[in-house]
Amino acid sequence: MRMLGVVVVIFIAAPLLIVVPMSFSSARSLQFPPPGYWLGYYQAYFTDLTWLRPTWNSIVIATATMVLTMVLVVPATFALVRHRFAGKSIADLMMLMPLAVPHIVMAVGYYSFLGEYRLVHTHIGVVLAHTCLSVPIAFLVLSANLKGFDRTLERAAQSLGASPIKTFIHVTLPILRPGLVISALFAFVQSFDETVVAIFISGRNAETLPRKMFDSIRQEADPVIAVISTLLFAAVLLALLAPAGWKGIRSRLRARTPPTAITTGR
Amino acid sequence: MGATIARLAQRPNLWPWLLLAPLALYLAIFFLVPLADVAIMSVTEPKLSLANYERVLTGTLYQRVFFNTFLTAGLVTLACLLVGYPLAYLMNHSSQRTAMLILLLVTMSFWTSFLVRTYAWMVLLGNNGPVIGLLRAVGFETTPQLLFTRFSSTLAMVHILAPYMIMNIYSVMRKIDPVLIRSAESLGARGFSLFRHIYLPLTAPGIANGCVLVFVICLGFYVTPVLLGSPREQMIAGLIGTQIEEFLAFGMGSAMAMILLAVTLAILAIYHRRFGLDKLWG
Repeated sequence: MRMLGVVVVIFIAAPLLIVVPMSFSSARSLQFPPPGYWLGYYQAYFTDLTWLRPTWNSIVIATATMVLTMVLVVPATFALVRHRFAGKSIADLMMLMPLAVPHIVMAVGYYSFLGEYRLVHTHIGVVLAHTCLSVPIAFLVLSANLKGFDRTLERAAQSLGASPIKTFIHVTLPILRPGLVISALFAFVQSFDETVVAIFISGRNAETLPRKMFDSIRQEADPVIAVISTLLFAAVLLALLAPAGWKGIRSRLRARTPPTAITTGR
Repeated sequence: MGATIARLAQRPNLWPWLLLAPLALYLAIFFLVPLADVAIMSVTEPKLSLANYERVLTGTLYQRVFFNTFLTAGLVTLACLLVGYPLAYLMNHSSQRTAMLILLLVTMSFWTSFLVRTYAWMVLLGNNGPVIGLLRAVGFETTPQLLFTRFSSTLAMVHILAPYMIMNIYSVMRKIDPVLIRSAESLGARGFSLFRHIYLPLTAPGIANGCVLVFVICLGFYVTPVLLGSPREQMIAGLIGTQIEEFLAFGMGSAMAMILLAVTLAILAIYHRRFGLDKLWG
């Protein structure tokens, strides 16, 4: 079984490694090993508006999605984790539903729904749709954090005379900050990577990066995609390694990595 | 107004409703209504009838696509299991440093966009790619067409979905008490017997989780089959896309979407009754 495991490691690693040399390739189409190396496609990416505009759209949409998701999810998570009330189990299930519905089904729904209100091909339309898809992920991360929260700390603060609001600001929020940050990050990434719904509703005006990449791969396999892939890859690596160097990662990886990409792409 | 809210909030059982209301309203409007739109379109486009469902369920083209989708999802799930189990085993049986490095690799893969990984497979399997190059170097005169076949899309989907399987299996395998294995070995269990009586039952929950997750995602997979697969062997999500984008056949597209949704929810409902849905992604 060990040998098989090693083969699998190569299988997992090969596609991730191949895009990096491809991005420096001077070939006009897919060719590996590359006939020569240059930085031309990096220059092409950073000067070409047909690539930069979708990148900017994706950043704007993902940021707005993140903010809207957090505004909605944070209070709801407190309600669902800390209170018992009739209909709670249904509410819990409802929070997860957007994760259970295939994105292609939602894409058909949004295409018609947003069309009725002339929101197809607008930034707002994409943000409204992406927020629904980000809710379950943000909720899962945040509720896991909130469940592990030691409430005696809040009671201690209140017994020492802090008002509920002061307790929330000075005790609850600081302790919950890592959970909030990760949950917001997941909402951002979910929107930034989301492809299927964006293909159907973002159109020319609000075209996101994944939509542009999808079209480009389908039509001509523009080598610029290798550049973007490398940049995204570097961003992922940085995000994984940055927090607190090697030690941070060790503890992070040891705690089970929460899922995100379940929805991303599909 | 503010005073009223404050007074209402005094009653403790209203708090959760106040906190939950904005999100509930949001999901009702921007999630349930679009979903209902699909259901309505499936029976009203172009006119009020069940004709769309009839065509989808009886037409040979659609039946073939459904069959193909299930077959692919089954194959991908099985392959992910065959790929994921040995890797989880390797991680569990190597030094902490090696295990950490493999986990970093799997996490990287997991976080890398589906599109990027699909593109990478295009490079790997392309006519000027390393796999064909290797085949030529070994002496094959006529090399097979790898790209845009069922093979390429299945392989890429296995690569993309394997991390779900690996993480699920590894998380339960890690918890197996080594003492249990040593005592089984001291009682003479070796090889397959050890696997059959110790590993398999103890990792079963992780296997179930991973399989359900991979199968369900694969059923509705759009991007990779469309980009890498053969146009003659579409999967259901791809066909829905074609109906909407090319033929503007919203009724047919919606009917197929509803069937896909029903199958997906049925599988998840069975899982939910047995394990609880929040465990699946948690």
